[in-house]
Amino acid sequence: MTDTATTAPSEQSGLTVRVEAFVGPLDLLLHLCRTNEMDLSRMSVRAITDQYLAHLESVRFQDLETAGAFMVMAATLIYLKSKLLLPAGPDDDEEALDEEALLLKQELEQRLKEYARIKALGGWLGEREAEQALLFGRTVAELPPPEDIPLEDLSIHLLQRALQRLIDEQKRQAPRDVEPNPLSVLERMNEILELLRHTWSLLFSSVAGAERIRAEWVVTLLALLELVRLGQARARQADLFGEIVIEQHAVSVKEPNPQDQQDRGAPAND
Amino acid sequence: MTELIDVVEALLFASDSPVEAERIQEVLELHSAAAARELVSRLRERLDSEGRALQVMEAGGGFRLVTRPEVAQWLVKLARSRTRSRLSRPALETLAIIAYRQPVSRPEVDAIRGVNSEAVLDNLLDRRMIRIAGRKESPGRPFLYETTREFLVAFGLRDVADLPKVEGELVVPEPVPSEGGAGDGRAAGPVPEPGAGEVTAAADSPQQDSGSGGPGVAPRG
Repeated sequence: MTDTATTAPSEQSGLTVRVEAFVGPLDLLLHLCRTNEMDLSRMSVRAITDQYLAHLESVRFQDLETAGAFMVMAATLIYLKSKLLLPAGPDDDEEALDEEALLLKQELEQRLKEYARIKALGGWLGEREAEQALLFGRTVAELPPPEDIPLEDLSIHLLQRALQRLIDEQKRQAPRDVEPNPLSVLERMNEILELLRHTWSLLFSSVAGAERIRAEWVVTLLALLELVRLGQARARQADLFGEIVIEQHAVSVKEPNPQDQQDRGAPAND
Repeated sequence: MTELIDVVEALLFASDSPVEAERIQEVLELHSAAAARELVSRLRERLDSEGRALQVMEAGGGFRLVTRPEVAQWLVKLARSRTRSRLSRPALETLAIIAYRQPVSRPEVDAIRGVNSEAVLDNLLDRRMIRIAGRKESPGRPFLYETTREFLVAFGLRDVADLPKVEGELVVPEPVPSEGGAGDGRAAGPVPEPGAGEVTAAADSPQQDSGSGGPGVAPRG
């Protein structure tokens, strides 16, 4: 009832495409060939490519990977079409392709035929499943389980699942380590700036903490480097592995000699 | 006086999986599997001629006792659910590929379908429609998949030979070098696929007899 023409005005373009859920690029391609009543082994690249691209805009991709598959197909079609745009020899038929492109096209047609077959079989299975859904049989044994469990029925997959369940169970029971809030470089930067507001210079170790927790030191160093990069602080290290002194960046006081600044490794701020 | 045919009926009634002719032969101490088959076909005729609600069905290499389709509507009502969850189209197509080409690896399935089939395969494994048959001796040693007995039962097939014949053989396209065709290449990636939600039916409307209630709030069991 919703497909009557009354809903048409909402569409901006004159072309209204009823989009099925295409499960893959081959599915869409097959649909196009069918609607154009095209022989799968005589696919018209010109016609199909344009329609494929038109449809592509309206397809809603479930995920990136599927989108990628659609795009690769689009690229293949465009490539084939581009071959057709090149001037062909006078004795060529209407869709003349060079050898490489022809092979590509044939392969595509082959895959399409293959997919058409699979789709038909899938449909057959679907009907079959629907019929079987009307029949109810016993699914849980009324009999006691056999004494020896037939191991050949146990697939690796099921064993793996069972093991995974056990592991998950264990994980749930094990006490959890409560992590402190993760350190943030941005927060640390603000902390340093805050400290620098009240003092001209401070020691790196006083910010990073005397406990020498690795994460603390790394975050502090990153924060410092970022501040230096942004020109909001200066850092000075007198000797190798020595203490780093963090200083206010004197923005207001222009130093007469920029050489002095560069010696300390602070990049020129722009 | 209990007759053998009654025992066969009892066996099929009580068993949760198809009972093979050989198993019936073993249990009843018959001289041949053919004799067991004969009993089963007599049971089938009896159920059919009496117009009973049950019928004998051959699937997955054995025999089952199942209800007739005509009574399905009442059973559905009894179960208080509309339908059993069905497989999605990607799942059915994937199953078709595996059924015809088993054992088959995921790259081959991907190549035929033109999209990644990882999530679909996982779903089919969970539903025990397929299982891992081993590994393929090719780069990456991918798993090989094959259909299970549950698959045959779910689709009412005696064995895979019951599947319709396909004209010509199912050819797997050779994995195409990089820029070539679609469908190859993107092997890895745990991104859930379209078919992720395989449950197509049942989900949208769980029997609402409570009147106006929005979908999903209907009382369930």
